[in-house]
Amino acid sequence: MPLTPTKIKLAAGNNTLAVHWSDGHESSYPYRYLRGKCPCATCDEAAPVPEQAVGGLPILGQKPLHPERAELVGRYALQIYWSDGHSSGIYAFPYLRSLCPCPECTAARSAGL
Amino acid sequence: MSSRIGPQDVLNALRTVKDPDLGRDIVTLGFIKELEVGDSRVSFALQLTTPACPVRDQLVAQARAAVMALGVAEVEVRLAAPAPARAPGRTLIPQVKHTIAVASGKGGVGKSTVAANLAVALHRMGAKVGLLDTDVYGPSVPILMGGNDAPYVAEGKIEPPVAYGIKIMSMAFFLPKDEAVIWRGPMLHKTIQQFLGDVRWGELDYLIIDMPPGTGDIQLSLSQSIPLTGAVIVSTPQDLALSVASKAIAMFQKLNVPILGIVENMSYYLCPKCGDRAEIFGHGGAAEAAKKLNIAFLGEIPLDLSIREQSDSGKPVALDDSTIYGIAFQEVAGELAAQISIGSYQTTEDIRIE
Repeated sequence: MPLTPTKIKLAAGNNTLAVHWSDGHESSYPYRYLRGKCPCATCDEAAPVPEQAVGGLPILGQKPLHPERAELVGRYALQIYWSDGHSSGIYAFPYLRSLCPCPECTAARSAGL
Repeated sequence: MSSRIGPQDVLNALRTVKDPDLGRDIVTLGFIKELEVGDSRVSFALQLTTPACPVRDQLVAQARAAVMALGVAEVEVRLAAPAPARAPGRTLIPQVKHTIAVASGKGGVGKSTVAANLAVALHRMGAKVGLLDTDVYGPSVPILMGGNDAPYVAEGKIEPPVAYGIKIMSMAFFLPKDEAVIWRGPMLHKTIQQFLGDVRWGELDYLIIDMPPGTGDIQLSLSQSIPLTGAVIVSTPQDLALSVASKAIAMFQKLNVPILGIVENMSYYLCPKCGDRAEIFGHGGAAEAAKKLNIAFLGEIPLDLSIREQSDSGKPVALDDSTIYGIAFQEVAGELAAQISIGSYQTTEDIRIE
């Protein structure tokens, strides 16, 4: 069985999206980070969305970035509808997992490089 | 009875009955529902994972015998309706339990013929079946199924024609004869979505989806629009077809769609005059490929004049199980139903988005 999410929490607190995986792993993605990793063709070519400084001031009442909703694509990916109006990124599950920012996954990734 | 029999005793007895396809006992699989244990009477429902379960009668008989062996005078076994396989996430067709794509890499291997006959065979096994032709450029299902009725619109939805008890939908219904569809990708996507969401499929056990050859727009649209239960790959036995079939398999694996198995079509030719068997495209290639790729082999369908003739005249050979061709399709359909029950067992985990 390929690795799939079992539960996806859009608002897991502290501006993060949480994914529970079928192997028991739990990933927690900061919104800015995940939005910056949008795999759609436009984002792939464009300059990366700058990381918002922790505690940074939102510009003139602009609401901080968050996912408004998300849908499953077939049975292989997650499509996130961001509050900035962007939704064309299809996060395939293996890609989503490869983005996991937890210390173990990060270490495993840098060891693999 | 000397010692009273409790529910645990009954369940322990039922644990000796194994589903031959899943390789596990029917208690662990959660097939036993509504168990009631009285003084001399035991009753329970057997809930199978697929309505066309080929071993249904066998399981009922074994379950009954296992409980009888405890010394229970009266055993009542009911067949409960299978639990709807909850597809993860959004779906355009919530009332359809299983969606099965019939695909190949190469064209001309008999996808549509296999799809139509599988639909007929599953229907004959007692399931509610629909047949969707997604080959927009070369629709063939209406010819194969002899569908002369036209779809019509009622209450904002398309009512599909019914042929041999099977609801069918195809682009051919919307085209004047000899007209061609000359479209780019986005139009195809919209059509697929309409065929799924705007057609009144109603409650179905199986929706068989006949795909065009290849790994392009329609395949991707379909895999994105609904969480497919799985895909059946049709191939002829020769190396050329099998090497292209492996591309289709690779696509479905990438999209996380389970491969339910391979069907070898045009497996061999029986001469109608002398009965001599000729293996025109070689033989057994698909079974070998299935083994190598670790996917199920669903069976082989011979190349035969009567299959061609009956297909062209809209009478699928699976309607008649007195011929070897009808039997061949019944066997493939039974094997397919078994693979689906294994699949829905493996993917009961629902992905929740909160």
